[in-house]
Amino acid sequence: MDDALVEPAEAGPLRGAPAEPLLELDDIQGLVAPGFLKPHQALVHIRFPEDRQGLGAVRALFAALVSRGALSTGAETLKDRRDHRLYVSGQLDARDRAPLVALAFTAQGLRAFTPAAGQLKSPAFQGGLPSRSALLGDPVADDDPGAAANWVVGASGQELDALLVVAGDHRATVRALAQDMAGQLAALGAQVDIQRGDVRDDQRGHEHFGFDDGVSQPGMRGLASDAPGDFVTDRYVDPSEVPDSWLYGYPGQDLIWPGEFILGYPVSGPDPLIPGPVLPCPSWARNGSFLVYRRLRQDVAAFWQTMRAEAERLRKTPGFESLTDEDLAARLVGRWASGAPLARAPLKDDPDLGADAFANNDFRLDSDTPARTGASGDYPLAKADPVGLVCPVGAHIRKVNVRDGASDMGGAVATQARRLLRVGVPFGESLADRYGDSGPDPLEGDRGLLFLSIQASIEDQFEFLQARWMNNPARPRGPGGHDMIVGQNAAAADGVRRCHLFGAQLQSAETVAEVQFVVPTGGGYFFVPSLRALREVITPLDEGVQNAAGA
Amino acid sequence: MALLPQFDPPAYLTDLDHVKDGRRQWDAFLDYCFTWAIDAQRGAARGQDGGAGEVQYFNPKTYDPGSTVLAQPIVWNAFPKTLLLRFGRERALAEADTLWPYYPFDGFHGGYDSQRPGDALKAANTKVWTRPLDEYCEWRVERDAGTGLIRRVTFTSEPPEYWTALFGGEVVLDTDVRFRFEGNPKYATELYRELTGSPVQEDDLRVREPFGDFKRGDYNPYNKWNTTHGIVHLNCPPNSIGAEVRLGGDATVLRQRRDGAPVLSPDELICCARYGGGNRNSDPTIGASVNALARLGAMITLVNPIGLYIDDLDLTGWWLPDGIAPQDCVRVVRGQPGQVERLVVEVPAETGRCVSDILIGGAPVRWGGEIAECITVKLVGGAADLGKVANGAATCIGQACVLPSDSRLLRVAPADGNLPLGLQAAFNEPRPAGGAVPAWSPGVRAHRAAKLTGAA
Repeated sequence: MDDALVEPAEAGPLRGAPAEPLLELDDIQGLVAPGFLKPHQALVHIRFPEDRQGLGAVRALFAALVSRGALSTGAETLKDRRDHRLYVSGQLDARDRAPLVALAFTAQGLRAFTPAAGQLKSPAFQGGLPSRSALLGDPVADDDPGAAANWVVGASGQELDALLVVAGDHRATVRALAQDMAGQLAALGAQVDIQRGDVRDDQRGHEHFGFDDGVSQPGMRGLASDAPGDFVTDRYVDPSEVPDSWLYGYPGQDLIWPGEFILGYPVSGPDPLIPGPVLPCPSWARNGSFLVYRRLRQDVAAFWQTMRAEAERLRKTPGFESLTDEDLAARLVGRWASGAPLARAPLKDDPDLGADAFANNDFRLDSDTPARTGASGDYPLAKADPVGLVCPVGAHIRKVNVRDGASDMGGAVATQARRLLRVGVPFGESLADRYGDSGPDPLEGDRGLLFLSIQASIEDQFEFLQARWMNNPARPRGPGGHDMIVGQNAAAADGVRRCHLFGAQLQSAETVAEVQFVVPTGGGYFFVPSLRALREVITPLDEGVQNAAGA
Repeated sequence: MALLPQFDPPAYLTDLDHVKDGRRQWDAFLDYCFTWAIDAQRGAARGQDGGAGEVQYFNPKTYDPGSTVLAQPIVWNAFPKTLLLRFGRERALAEADTLWPYYPFDGFHGGYDSQRPGDALKAANTKVWTRPLDEYCEWRVERDAGTGLIRRVTFTSEPPEYWTALFGGEVVLDTDVRFRFEGNPKYATELYRELTGSPVQEDDLRVREPFGDFKRGDYNPYNKWNTTHGIVHLNCPPNSIGAEVRLGGDATVLRQRRDGAPVLSPDELICCARYGGGNRNSDPTIGASVNALARLGAMITLVNPIGLYIDDLDLTGWWLPDGIAPQDCVRVVRGQPGQVERLVVEVPAETGRCVSDILIGGAPVRWGGEIAECITVKLVGGAADLGKVANGAATCIGQACVLPSDSRLLRVAPADGNLPLGLQAAFNEPRPAGGAVPAWSPGVRAHRAAKLTGAA
């Protein structure tokens, strides 16, 4: 890959910045890079027909999707994103952008089409999500809706074979396209259904507990073309601020080497400005990636009732006398509802900060965050908080990203190598009264998040974060506790999650949750192949080609 | 607060009650370690660029902080990251269950490699073995001779110095920094027999032919009952409690690059200050955690009883056939919850099952390391008097570097010398070459402008 590293510029402020790989965006599906970040999605769940003829017909349909360009390339998706920004800034007239589409396979689905599926050396992928559910701390009791046997999609024995992701700016066009594709598949004998997901009408960008979601999304290193500065992830730090302008997209948004998300590219090393090696993978898998899909039900009323009861209990504890439910929830997330980080807004929410992409992610945890040239707002700078006096060590955002600090897995590179690209969206209508005090819930609690994440390793990234950091009270750092938001009770020794908090004058206390706020109700582990792999290895009808791929 | 009256043995173990003056000697040893570690910081303190020039590391027996000591558990994963980085997971798991020849552990261009012909020759000629497990937790796998299935995996975090204190012998902390324990060889031998279930003889535990810093007749931490025939305590060369006390001290020194930029990255810091193995889980996180507290102006120590502990074995996702509960397969042999020194994973014999029947995440256990991946190791630091000390930073004494062929593995060269041939400097960002026009794309420029003006 070294020959594919491109100097970002021969002159100007980028001279000397690390060379980055040219991403093959015409071959990479756009869901993987740069990622669909669309307000409306429809996931077409697919189980293949069992008969050979039907299977062949589905394969032919997929081949046709590829050949007629119905699957979105990375290049198309990046152009769509850039057009959207020009449109938002008034530099491009409104136009009807077609939905974006991606196709992914579970191991059993891929095996149905090619023996090369076995070359993907991922026990998680090969075993499938239900077989790994217990490792993730999911409920296992027979009568628990969170147990893999009871999921509404992809349950044990009912695993999906493939997934079409349709995403766009308009609910109606997304649904129409998904319906059309589902109809074509159903006509061939496939079992299909559609899971719809949409941003919340009342709080765009916020998940159902009420918090702005995806603020900490990392950026992917790499160039879209050999034009100077044509980065896949835009860079906003003042170019004079070296090395920060080489380290971040938005201020504080880590730029991660693309091999953490796409097979066949350099991974992270301890020095974030030096690319790591390209890890080996089957040649046909290059430009592919793994997709984790979890249908997570969020019990909004249980969450806020617990916050209310716990805040009331903790107010009787020295150092916590003025704690409100919103204070407590913010501490457990590490951000206020607006997305403003506690590190920069310790005492109350600051919606302007939360909305400011140039500041809402610009904070360190182990050291003071310096002032930034051309800062867009007059927000307080984050102070070093290694012990979690302000933002608890067990807060969700610290559980999944220790930022500048070390962890149980070593130096800061350990957290960079665990990052995910999240490309999901909520599902279900909002709960009108978050405490659920005002009457029955019309959805009976069936709202939540269609969690979709892109990563090069399911084991080392998604599973590691869920099982080893979020579910574990001692990791990645102490004194921590469980991730009270996403952590699973079944993973706690006594079925109760706990998180350590500091109050005034170094007083400390523990908050507890006996109920589960987030319940898995389905999903799957998928591989998102490159378009070339789809054309040449997965969908060709000539079996000789498949055998060659299997060699 | 009050001064600590005496350093207790790790996990409050009581073995030293069977050794004449045993507890007093252990206390004196840790006192000596602190003196050594604190003295070593005085030079660095003098080298600070301004500031108070004070040592921020304290011996809890001699320094009484003005505030409560805030205990800071520092945790790390037991499976060696060094092996993972060098070999990838599959081969790392296999290597981790083997013994390696004892010799200096890490060179500039890589350590022992059992598949390298020259190293195989070394292995063929070695008489002293060690475990390649440098995360302060080591294990031994016992397999059924006929089937190869795993019967038992025994984990330990007991420091070698503790067993030298039990048997008697000399601990060498550094050149001319030595401590002699009188010990009770008979008691230590009995304890060996109890832990290994084998007919251990006192002479088995003595150094027969001097090697390294070990003298004839002294306790031999690399004896056969702690290597080829059993496991009793840590024996990987970097795994010692003296090294931890010293690392804690070294990490209190604030550091800066030659251009005055503070060194904050855990990976850069460990190379700059040369206080441990940069490719491990443990040392970078111990050092960075301590340094972060030191940057807050705190006084730092280690919390009694000082030890390296198995903190947790995470059984999430473990499953056994026949309804066997995973927790019934885990036995704490020495220590206590949160301060475990010896732990055995073994399926109860009456079930007719074995460790190889355990599934983790649906996959059967094939190597001891798969269990180690679920283990968290711990050291407890302490911080007091936050904001008391306003030290300046000292310049780096080490330069981080990497092999261009695999930049994931850090090496350290002296800061004042040339880099060894073939290595590339790391954490050494060049300054920008100048120029004022960012090479942003039109879309980026528009988006940035819109963001800054509030239009988007």
